[in-house]
Amino acid sequence: MLSFLRIIKFSLQDIARNIWLSIVTITILLLALLSINTMLTVQTVSDNAVNAVKEKIDISLYLNADASENNITALRSKIEAMPEVKSIVYTSKQTALESFRSKYRDNPEILQALRELGSNPLSPSLAITPSNFDETTNLVNSLRQIDSDIIESRDFSDNTAVVNKIQSITKRVSEVGLVIIFIFVLTSLLVVYNSIRVAVYTHKREIEIMRLVGASNYFIYMPFMFSAFIYAVISVSLMISIFYPFLTLFQPYLEVFLAGYNVNLVTYFVNNFWPIFGAQFGIILFITLVASFFAVRKYARG
Amino acid sequence: MITLLHVSKSYSNKNQVLRDANIYIKAGEFVSLVGQSGAGKPTLVKLLIGEERADEGQVVVGDWDITNLNRHEIPYLRRQIGVIFQDFKLLPKKTLKENVAFALEVCGASRGKINKIVPSVLKIVGLEDKANRYPHEVSGGEQQRAAIARSLVHQPRILLADEPTGNLDAINADEIIDLLLRINKFGTTVILVTHNKEIVNRLNRRVITMDRGRVVSDLAHGKYLL
Repeated sequence: MLSFLRIIKFSLQDIARNIWLSIVTITILLLALLSINTMLTVQTVSDNAVNAVKEKIDISLYLNADASENNITALRSKIEAMPEVKSIVYTSKQTALESFRSKYRDNPEILQALRELGSNPLSPSLAITPSNFDETTNLVNSLRQIDSDIIESRDFSDNTAVVNKIQSITKRVSEVGLVIIFIFVLTSLLVVYNSIRVAVYTHKREIEIMRLVGASNYFIYMPFMFSAFIYAVISVSLMISIFYPFLTLFQPYLEVFLAGYNVNLVTYFVNNFWPIFGAQFGIILFITLVASFFAVRKYARG
Repeated sequence: MITLLHVSKSYSNKNQVLRDANIYIKAGEFVSLVGQSGAGKPTLVKLLIGEERADEGQVVVGDWDITNLNRHEIPYLRRQIGVIFQDFKLLPKKTLKENVAFALEVCGASRGKINKIVPSVLKIVGLEDKANRYPHEVSGGEQQRAAIARSLVHQPRILLADEPTGNLDAINADEIIDLLLRINKFGTTVILVTHNKEIVNRLNRRVITMDRGRVVSDLAHGKYLL
């Protein structure tokens, strides 16, 4: 217990007496964490945006205006039973008309044209959402094979193009994102590793004296290990305290940019707090401990 | 106390720094180890504190054969041998008192023991009134005295002084040698590694002279021969 308390004392004393070096080391750790989290944010935003767009994909079947409710229900049940289908929404002739009127309530010319027609020109429809975005093509193929008299038209062509486009973007974003994140993480970790080694290098003389006076390896290594722990705790805590206000400030701009899509970064980082920041703390602690161990070992040999 | 039997050491095929060195030093002796550059003195010091291993021969300190010392045993050896160097090796951001206490702290000594030993060794070297000063606030001689105080905290049986006066003026150098003699009077074996002719001649104690890795002379009341 006495030894452990003394190690804590040595470590804190060392951090305080070399305050500038400690600040520089923590700043480097903080910058590394910020760059990693910035990349993570970019990746999260792009993933959420792509997912939001995927969610918006639906496939419509337009039905005959005189289709009976029984036939429509039977067709709906048949489609719902397909494994590729997540949900299906039926829009009646009347609902479609109300929706149309609401949509163009500020456009008197269109509403006037509708009144002149005298009857409801819109068809009832079934809007189908795929269970999985990647299944869209299969779903379209299945829907093409349905033989029903009440289907007036099938709106598939545009979706196929959008699906292909999104799939291509998603794939590219994932690939490029992964490569960039890997480079960022690797660079950050190398910088962290090196800065810890430099910090230990400045204690070369102290380690030499410790050896000289007969200090055990426990006393030589542990203060540096504890300092590494302190650096990791402080840098991750600072990162969290800077990052959340930044996300809160950034969120309104993101909402404007991704209008109509539900992308909330603060909620995402709150819900995934432990996996994200726990992992970052673990990795930073591991790197600082490994760097400290090898740096101290270099000077403690002999 | 210290025995070196047929000790050889080389860093490469062409660089043999010790050749069949044979030295026996009794407990309580004051021995000057002299020789020019390349004589092998620093290597001998490194062998005695376990920093290097002999290629051949045997090194014994007390009744402990340290020829093939395990790394984990080195700290225990170093607590039995006090060492001081030309450059003092004090920590600049610790006071003299903290520097001395540091040697006990890193070995796990209790606070009570530290509070008892540190003032007493500072008193032996005459630094009790400068205990709270930092190394840069005192003279070179006082820094070396602080280093000596630190080397004494484990009450070593051997004190190894490697060119302790190398960075000091004549007056301070004499004071340090007087201090080493006083420590020797308490029963500590002192090995003084030096190339300071005046000091060796003034001491009139045992002198071991080395040349190119060999012991070339060993006189009970010797002079600096080279």
